[in-house]
Amino acid sequence: MAVTPVVFWYGCNMARHGEIIRLSTRIMEAVDVAAEPAGGPGYCCGSPQEKNARIAEGMGRRTMEKFNESGREQVVTWCPSCHMNMDDFMAPVTPPAFETLHITELLHARREMLRPLLRHPVKARVFLHGHLGFNGRVAVNDHVSDLLGMIPGIEVVNHGLLMPGHMCSAIAAVPGALAEAQRATLAAMAETGADTLATIFHSCHRETVALERGRKFRVVNWIHLLAEAMGFNYTDEYKVWRNAADPRAAIGADRIAAVGDVAFERLVEPELRRPAVV
Amino acid sequence: MTEGGLAARIREESARLAEACTSCGDCVRACPMVARTVVVAAAEPGAVIGGVLDVLRDGAGTPEALAFISACTRSGVCTPACPERIDAAFMMRLAGLRVRGALGDAPRVKVRDDPGWSARVKIFARLTMTEEEQEKWL
Repeated sequence: MAVTPVVFWYGCNMARHGEIIRLSTRIMEAVDVAAEPAGGPGYCCGSPQEKNARIAEGMGRRTMEKFNESGREQVVTWCPSCHMNMDDFMAPVTPPAFETLHITELLHARREMLRPLLRHPVKARVFLHGHLGFNGRVAVNDHVSDLLGMIPGIEVVNHGLLMPGHMCSAIAAVPGALAEAQRATLAAMAETGADTLATIFHSCHRETVALERGRKFRVVNWIHLLAEAMGFNYTDEYKVWRNAADPRAAIGADRIAAVGDVAFERLVEPELRRPAVV
Repeated sequence: MTEGGLAARIREESARLAEACTSCGDCVRACPMVARTVVVAAAEPGAVIGGVLDVLRDGAGTPEALAFISACTRSGVCTPACPERIDAAFMMRLAGLRVRGALGDAPRVKVRDDPGWSARVKIFARLTMTEEEQEKWL
């Protein structure tokens, strides 16, 4: 099969998880997709400025123009907010010269190419952290479940619990909702005997990694599990930092100095030191 | 579309969906967030969505409608619940944009604002990506 060149539009907040971007790109390459990652504020979908349509439109239009100029016929999304904004607002306002599909759709469609590459058994009883939202547009929950089910050694438990919202950042804004969802997740994991909680989206991963503290299961992203099965090494640094007694020590003084100590203290440290929700 | 295309799309789609909706309230009944929202749970579902339609028609909306719009977390279960096959989730998204002031009105609900968002993303990128990756990926 000829190699398909695509843009991998990873969104903005995925910048916390550089290894997931890197691993996603390697996994796509393995199924003949040459993915060029693009994200951060320079490729915004406009949602951070949705209180002002004029500004949101400008941000979205700039992103659309970059994608159109890339010459790539497909834009592969990661973030469900970006994906829905593309469908609902960006593409209708600035006509695209490309097709949009979600990374779960792409990998699921190429799963028979992926299957023989999943050579390394991963012994895990996996509870998939799914949400109700976005799944009506793209069957992310089934796609990810199918992909993880191809990994030797993995059993994806079937419980049926799905969280409200399209990802955890949405329910985190409603007082008590995230804690309730996490308690339900813990109960479902205990009920099913799962030893691994697999997140699908970045904001869920960000909100969920702290559940590992003092508990006998691990929290991983679905991409991490595929990577392990393919023999790719990685470190989930965000999880390490978030669960460290001292995030500064875990990151190291040199790296913090490189990004600016004041900015780190003001913009990053409060998030990493935030208490676990439950 | 020309400049102002997003505002025009919000207005056009709002009018289209408000026209198609019959205010039956099935979308409200299906929503998993209603139980968490006292004022909405106590209201008649058809009246709640009637207030949402008022927002879509440039009206002020009702307290129940504003609470329902604020509580929307984009679960999307309202869309398959709609007997008219309206994309109710998109209708709620449009109402959400409107009450947050997207069309230039004063916000009618609390707006989540994170002025440090862009800088925070860039700092995380510098922590997790190599210089070459930042050059290519951002």
